[in-house]
Amino acid sequence: MKRALALAALCAAIVLPAAQAARSTTPDECEKLRLHGQSAQAQSCYESVARSSSAYLRAEGDWGLHLYEQANNEFRAAVAQNDSSALYRVRWGMLLHERFNNTDAEQLFKEALQRDPKDAQAYLGLALVSADGFDSKALQWTAKALELDPKLVAAHELAANLALEDSDPADAIQQADQALALASDALDAMAIHAAVELLADRSPDAWFAKISAVNPHYGEAYAIVAHHLVLNYRYDDAIAYYRKAVEADPQLWSARSQLGVNLMRLGEDDEASKQLMMCYDNGYRDAATVNSLRLLDSEKNYDVFHDGDAILKLNKSEADLLRPYFDDIIQRAMATYNKKYQMTLPGPVQVEAYSDHEDFAVRTLGMPGLGALGVTFGLVVVMDSPSARKPGDFNWASTLWHEMSHVYILTATNHRVPRWFTEGLAVHEETQADPEWGDPITPDIVVALRDKKLLPVTQLDRGFVRPDYDAQVVVSYYQAGKICDYIQSRWGNQKLLDMVHSFAHRTTTADVIQQDLGMSPEEFDKEFQAWLYQSLGAVPQNFDKWHDALKQLAADSEARNYDAVLKEGPEVVQLYPQYIYDANAYEFIAEADVAKGNKTAAAAELTDYEHQAGRDPDTLKELASLEQDLNEPQKAAATLNRINWIYPMDAEVHRQLGALWLSQHNYAGAVREFNAVVDMHPLDKASAEYDLAEAYYDSGQRDKAENCVLASLEAAPDFQPAQKLLLQLHGSQ
Amino acid sequence: MKLVQARFAAILVAALLIAVPARAGIYYVTVSGLAGESDYAQEFTQLANDLDKLLKSTGPDAHVYTLINATRAQLTQTLTRVDSQAKPDDDFVLILIGHGTFDGYQYKFNLVGPDITAQDLAKLCDQIPSKRQLIVNTTEASGGSVMALERRGRAVIAATKDGNEKNATVFARYFVQALHDPQADLDKNNAISAMEAFEYAQRHTADFYDSQKRLATEHAVFEDTGEHDPTRTPETDTGEGLFLSNFTLIHIGATQQAYNDPAKRALLAQKEDLERKIDTLKYHKAAMSQDEYKEQLTQALLELAKVQEQLNK
Repeated sequence: MKRALALAALCAAIVLPAAQAARSTTPDECEKLRLHGQSAQAQSCYESVARSSSAYLRAEGDWGLHLYEQANNEFRAAVAQNDSSALYRVRWGMLLHERFNNTDAEQLFKEALQRDPKDAQAYLGLALVSADGFDSKALQWTAKALELDPKLVAAHELAANLALEDSDPADAIQQADQALALASDALDAMAIHAAVELLADRSPDAWFAKISAVNPHYGEAYAIVAHHLVLNYRYDDAIAYYRKAVEADPQLWSARSQLGVNLMRLGEDDEASKQLMMCYDNGYRDAATVNSLRLLDSEKNYDVFHDGDAILKLNKSEADLLRPYFDDIIQRAMATYNKKYQMTLPGPVQVEAYSDHEDFAVRTLGMPGLGALGVTFGLVVVMDSPSARKPGDFNWASTLWHEMSHVYILTATNHRVPRWFTEGLAVHEETQADPEWGDPITPDIVVALRDKKLLPVTQLDRGFVRPDYDAQVVVSYYQAGKICDYIQSRWGNQKLLDMVHSFAHRTTTADVIQQDLGMSPEEFDKEFQAWLYQSLGAVPQNFDKWHDALKQLAADSEARNYDAVLKEGPEVVQLYPQYIYDANAYEFIAEADVAKGNKTAAAAELTDYEHQAGRDPDTLKELASLEQDLNEPQKAAATLNRINWIYPMDAEVHRQLGALWLSQHNYAGAVREFNAVVDMHPLDKASAEYDLAEAYYDSGQRDKAENCVLASLEAAPDFQPAQKLLLQLHGSQ
Repeated sequence: MKLVQARFAAILVAALLIAVPARAGIYYVTVSGLAGESDYAQEFTQLANDLDKLLKSTGPDAHVYTLINATRAQLTQTLTRVDSQAKPDDDFVLILIGHGTFDGYQYKFNLVGPDITAQDLAKLCDQIPSKRQLIVNTTEASGGSVMALERRGRAVIAATKDGNEKNATVFARYFVQALHDPQADLDKNNAISAMEAFEYAQRHTADFYDSQKRLATEHAVFEDTGEHDPTRTPETDTGEGLFLSNFTLIHIGATQQAYNDPAKRALLAQKEDLERKIDTLKYHKAAMSQDEYKEQLTQALLELAKVQEQLNK
């Protein structure tokens, strides 16, 4: 939806030069010419408008001629001349919206509404701004625009677009038809029709023929279709349609930029770079273009490892450290999913982990939902590296496992799968891989459950794409995951697999529920929610009580009133056992236990924390320390190994785990851990190399042991333990 | 004390040629200044007390003075006392923990009551006869004190690169930790040099900000020639780092015993020859083939290990 038309209200007229015609013309006539592909005539028309004595009309003319700076200046002058005009502000806002400045655009639309509260175009402007961020207000603003002006074609087109984004093709068609009833040349409405057909795996040719009949160079229509293909994970198809868009209109920079962005998502960096540079050089410098180019420039900072069926891309500064851990999870995930989904991937999977969250954020720019930790584009997984976030913020292995599920499900369904199902299955798979992975239910979700805010399964996609409240995306992930847990527990794994196949055949959610689970979606919602609330017990109802009790517990702990902590703590845990986030009851109780000298009880408490998927590395380190004190080295090793899946950037954890595994004769494990210490380039290189040498020596790898011991002694020639090992290595030859 | 890492190779040979005077004793003055908030007060006091306990345990040669919530008068009095007791061959270490300010011209260490400027601190330290001095200023803006404090024979470590890094620092925490942590002894000679402690604290400070996903607001520097601008890393051209590498802060083992046994002097001489040989080998590493280097290094290290075995008997 590049530009809003509907300048019908504009009455201002200008006089064309004598050579043109002795009649007046208006910007909407110029736009009409452009819409119909009459570029030369449109150009002349805008040139005429740009010569007007009116600053406002000059702004419209300059805008039509792509002279954006001049247009901006003329709008400023027009507004200065006539402060009461809502129209000038709306049109100025539309220009800024088109030129990537939604902040100022929104402000101008609001100022316009202050001058004319019934300005439908201003509401349309607000809707366009909101739609860019997948904000649910887009729906409200569009409805308001249509309420004020039911004949506003662009608003119907936008409503159609929003409905299709929300996976409601029926409503999308209805809105598109209303636009077409008002204007037979509503090309964006036709594009929505084409997108609906394509998403349903039907031919869109008839609609594209209609579009071509009006304007054979209307690339925007293909771009609209491509946008919906992206939202439905069909990146290859989207790229094909963005190509059609720029073929039809080579100067459609917005489409070319998206072509570049999506090529980059699929790892086609060379062509992506060329397309994006072309946009940049031609003045199209929105955030997606600029940031993507910047990211492509930073490729030199990354190492790429090819390993048969997987490609791994890691920042050079941490590649040696992280590679064994990522390889482990990738290979385990592929072995698990190959078996479970009875398939193999058509090509190598590419995993990219970004140590700078901003680089990762560029990858997800313009995507709906959180996209906070990882995103899958076909066979390409991009995610935050463990170092990109604070220790304990997330379990990176669980995230990678989640994304790998998407790779399989998107492949298995040829990208025909509703968002709720692929996300739900991915969340479900996390805890299938390890019950201590995944994200335990957060207070936001508990509150949503308490307030009965779950969506019907047939509308669950909307919770991901256009949330109605702040936490709805997180709640939707949780709900979708629990739905898959429920289906597995009631009908077994095979039923989930059946649903994958059903979705692959373009069956709707309602039909899949009916066909595969033998009940209506309404019945399913009822039975699922009954199961869910039963499994949670009184946690939702107890939320306020828990909140107050935890506050008191925190105060008691702060005051070192350990008797009170030990007395009240267990009840706080009972009220909401899954709460393992900041200031949780488990840690308060364990601290009190330690203060009372009861290490056994403290270890038991922190073990419960661990089983509830607690993931603060410091807390887990404390548990490992307690386990060592209690002479339980195997438990301590298991606890420290768990930290590897959360925050493998702590050299001391690797060193301790290496030592524990060495003493337990787990030589391969010890070598991996001591190698990790070396790969972190510690200041104490001598000790790190010596530890590794010892592990190699004990595992019988004498050559490697000698190399490491020499490296140790090169750093510290007087290091006596290393000297002894060197003598041992040579003395026994 | 030898140099700490391979990258010092270029100045390493030169270092071996410099006769490091044997010190008679060492005077440590630790000052915890005005804390302001209670959290800082607790941390500064804890750090100063930890240091006090550690330094007093290092032996009879250590003369330890620790001031908590110090006033300017107490600081002046203590430094004057050191002035009257210390000999030229005694080392002197002043560690400042707390807050500092820099107004673009003058650095001040915050004390209870009137503060003290870097210039006034320098004057007090100038009176102390010790030929080898070290000042570790761990406060914010401490980089603004280096120019006033530096002189030949005195190394200065500052927690911030200049006077404009004005957020509270964590450098002190890790500098003190370095003296407790055997891992700070990078060359495994049972002693922690000022350079080893600096590098340890510098790395851990950077790791702290990194793990907290916070922009680092402190960048520690040192100056130990008395002639140059402060730097963050040793520099071959200027010799920055040499003095700090040779300045032993604490011994963590019993190496000294061997030096007192006349029967082992020949072995010690042999050991020093081998160490010198290894250092020279490392210096020429880039010019040698990998195999040749490995063979010669292995041979020298084996000989050194055998000598150490003899020494240990």
